[in-house]
Amino acid sequence: MFAMTEPAQPPRVLIVDDDADIREGLVEVFQRAGFAASSAADVAAMERSLAQKGADLIVLDLMMPGEDGLSACKRLSGKGRPPIIMLSALGDDADRIVGLEIGADDYLPKPCNPRELVARARAVLRRGRDADITAAEAVRFAGFRLDIARRELHDPDSVVIPLSAGEFRLLRAFVERPQRVLSREQLLDYAFDNDADVFDRAVDVQVSRLRRKLERPGGAEIIRTVRGEGYLFAVKPTA
Amino acid sequence: MFQTRGLPIAAYLGMLVALALAAAFIAVIAIVIFLPPRPPDVMRADTVAEHFEDGYEHMIAEGRPLNETGMVWTVRDGQPDGDDSPYMRIAQHRLADALELEKDQVVMYAAHVERSVGFVFRVQSGDLAEIARQAERAQRDAEREAARAQHEAERLAAYAERLNEDAERQAERAEAAAERQAEAHSAAAQELARRMEEQARIAEEVAREHVLEAEERTREAEERAREAEEHMREAEERVEEVLRRVEEQSGDFDIDVDGDVQVEVDAADIGRHIEMHAPPAVPAAPAPPTPDAPVAVAPTAPVAPTPPTPRSWPTPRNIPEPPDPPDPPDTPAPMFAPAPAGVVLVKGFEVGAQLPDGRWLVMSQGRNWAEIGWMFRSALIIAGALAALTILAVLFARRLARPIRNFSDAVQAVGVDPQSAPVREEGPQELRGAARAVNTMQARLRSLIADRTKTLAAVAHDMRTPLMRLRLAAENAPVEQRDRMAKEIGEVEALVASFIAFARDDPAEEARVRLDLSALLQSIADDHAAHNRNVTFEGGERVIVTGQSLGLKRLFSNLVENGLKYGGAARISLERGESAVIVDIGDDGPGIPADRREAVFEPFVRLQEETRGAGLGLAAARSIARAHGGDIAILDADKGALLRVTLPA
Repeated sequence: MFAMTEPAQPPRVLIVDDDADIREGLVEVFQRAGFAASSAADVAAMERSLAQKGADLIVLDLMMPGEDGLSACKRLSGKGRPPIIMLSALGDDADRIVGLEIGADDYLPKPCNPRELVARARAVLRRGRDADITAAEAVRFAGFRLDIARRELHDPDSVVIPLSAGEFRLLRAFVERPQRVLSREQLLDYAFDNDADVFDRAVDVQVSRLRRKLERPGGAEIIRTVRGEGYLFAVKPTA
Repeated sequence: MFQTRGLPIAAYLGMLVALALAAAFIAVIAIVIFLPPRPPDVMRADTVAEHFEDGYEHMIAEGRPLNETGMVWTVRDGQPDGDDSPYMRIAQHRLADALELEKDQVVMYAAHVERSVGFVFRVQSGDLAEIARQAERAQRDAEREAARAQHEAERLAAYAERLNEDAERQAERAEAAAERQAEAHSAAAQELARRMEEQARIAEEVAREHVLEAEERTREAEERAREAEEHMREAEERVEEVLRRVEEQSGDFDIDVDGDVQVEVDAADIGRHIEMHAPPAVPAAPAPPTPDAPVAVAPTAPVAPTPPTPRSWPTPRNIPEPPDPPDPPDTPAPMFAPAPAGVVLVKGFEVGAQLPDGRWLVMSQGRNWAEIGWMFRSALIIAGALAALTILAVLFARRLARPIRNFSDAVQAVGVDPQSAPVREEGPQELRGAARAVNTMQARLRSLIADRTKTLAAVAHDMRTPLMRLRLAAENAPVEQRDRMAKEIGEVEALVASFIAFARDDPAEEARVRLDLSALLQSIADDHAAHNRNVTFEGGERVIVTGQSLGLKRLFSNLVENGLKYGGAARISLERGESAVIVDIGDDGPGIPADRREAVFEPFVRLQEETRGAGLGLAAARSIARAHGGDIAILDADKGALLRVTLPA
């Protein structure tokens, strides 16, 4: 399952963690998954490594001696930095939101399933490649506001519409690629990056649930079905 | 100035009292400055009499009584009743004189009569001196007049004597001539003697006549002298009386302003009297005797008796008009004037005088509108001052109360959220002290929370890092072992997570938003369903509540996970009640015995010891529900446990 088609240039991932065992373990996991993995023990080492060889993705531990992950992430946020997956022993929703709001592209609590981490890493890389809108804290469309960090949808009346994890990922996939026809396979790929068994039909179920939540009387159709091809996010989101 | 320390509340209260006093003071000052002196409702008896005099003249002239405010004028058949007051008699008599009526044709009554003992606004000593001066003048005049009369009488007497002497002398001379002639001319002598006799008779007659006249004159002069004496005595008597009265009045300070006028009148009277009785300006001269004797025959014509010197009466000296009575003060006395001490004051009076037709004109004191107006205006000023004071007091109280209100709000905010802004140190001293104390407390609270958060983070890090290592190590293990290890690690992780979640649990930290509760419950069900767990959601319409998005999610997730753990399934249903939103969560487990239903909400209490978990889920859930103004209850159910969450709609 891990033996996927290797891209010509394996993506470079930089693992930053103060715990040597975890560092080595993660490097091993990523290498096995076909990444070019390297590691750094603290933020200073990370910056040296970035300056020397660069990276396509950083897996950053939140709590480290010296400068911690949050402040490093805050500092790196900006143009041209590689996407960051934050790894933290603080696994609460609130901590996750803080991490995402500070600019992390994804956030995983420790201890995480190593395979999930790899899958998220792939998803982040893919998103970085394809997405029209990335690393935005919130996206607006048709009066709705999608708070990426909080995984919350606010309707035009500012009422919070909680989304399930699947709905959120699906909606995020849509708003990042608006006005493009997305096939069920693509949506599966973007939105269902866990190892649960999902089928095309599951995409249809999620889409119909999402539609119900986005439905407003008199409102335009936001997710349009393209017969035989997939779905299309019909409105143009703004940051 | 007081920004740093503030004033004690007592100082504010003191300022308020000072403000009230200042307002009262300003009101009094305003009354004194802006209002004329308060018009009294008592009036001077003499002013009343003068006023009545005017009204009486008006009645006579116009035939109808005056119509004016302050006085009520009526015409009646009978005289008004009332008690006579000796104090008013002078005014009454004066009024009678002024109206040229008999004393009993004028009445003057008052319900209340008194002599003013009030403030002497106008100096009364001037009047006293004037009275004394006038009395002296009158005495002087009377004396002078008496002296003059005496002198006149003496002169008259002397004249009469002279006339007498004249007559005697002529008689003698005539006798001598007759003798001489008789001697010279016996013949003619007879004739002459006869003539002479005739002459003598005539002379005698003339002399007798002259004597008679002289006698009469003497009598007249005597009478005149007696009269003058009498006048003098009278004058003296008057003067004495005036002096006595002056003395009397200055003795007990009882000065009747009428007195001076009275004296004036008397002095003038004396003058008039004397003038009236003075001798005529040109007295008739007695006819001179007309001798018809043949003067030519007589060698020596008998000397015609010297006609008496025509009486030359001294022209009676014009008695100077008595000086005008002292003018009443420059302007006519106002109706309402401050009364000097000693003036007769009346209140509730009635003045009546008989009209020529026998009816009575009566003036009675009406309502004193001037006084009522004055009272009304002063009441307005006081009310104005009170209103201003009230407004100021309200502003003041608000100024005092605002910091207290702010303080209470701020303290409440600190109680709810220790991260809230510090309490502003403002207002009175005591409040600033309290605010400082609260701020110190809040700072300590914040540092405690920071410590707790740091500790939690350290604990989480120290516990989860080994778990992560285990996870990574498990990756290299055979698949079978790997999955079992992963499961164990997951359970330990869940335990750690629940400890940390409970320890850091602070329901107040998260902001409240309007939230689609049905979508929330649906998403929880969907998330579990995505992992093939038996969680269902039923609920029709959209239900929107106000609450914490993460908190409510944790609340319902805990309950659902409990249901999954003990009952293998969770059925969520949502309905909107009258005033609350009701969420029921049921499971298929053994249920919760009635006697344990309260205990399960205690932290670390678990129904089944063998079940994994810390026993924190329900405790956390209830604390979140209560923070939202709702609650969780355990209901009786046919099967399994049924938990009902109520939230305010």
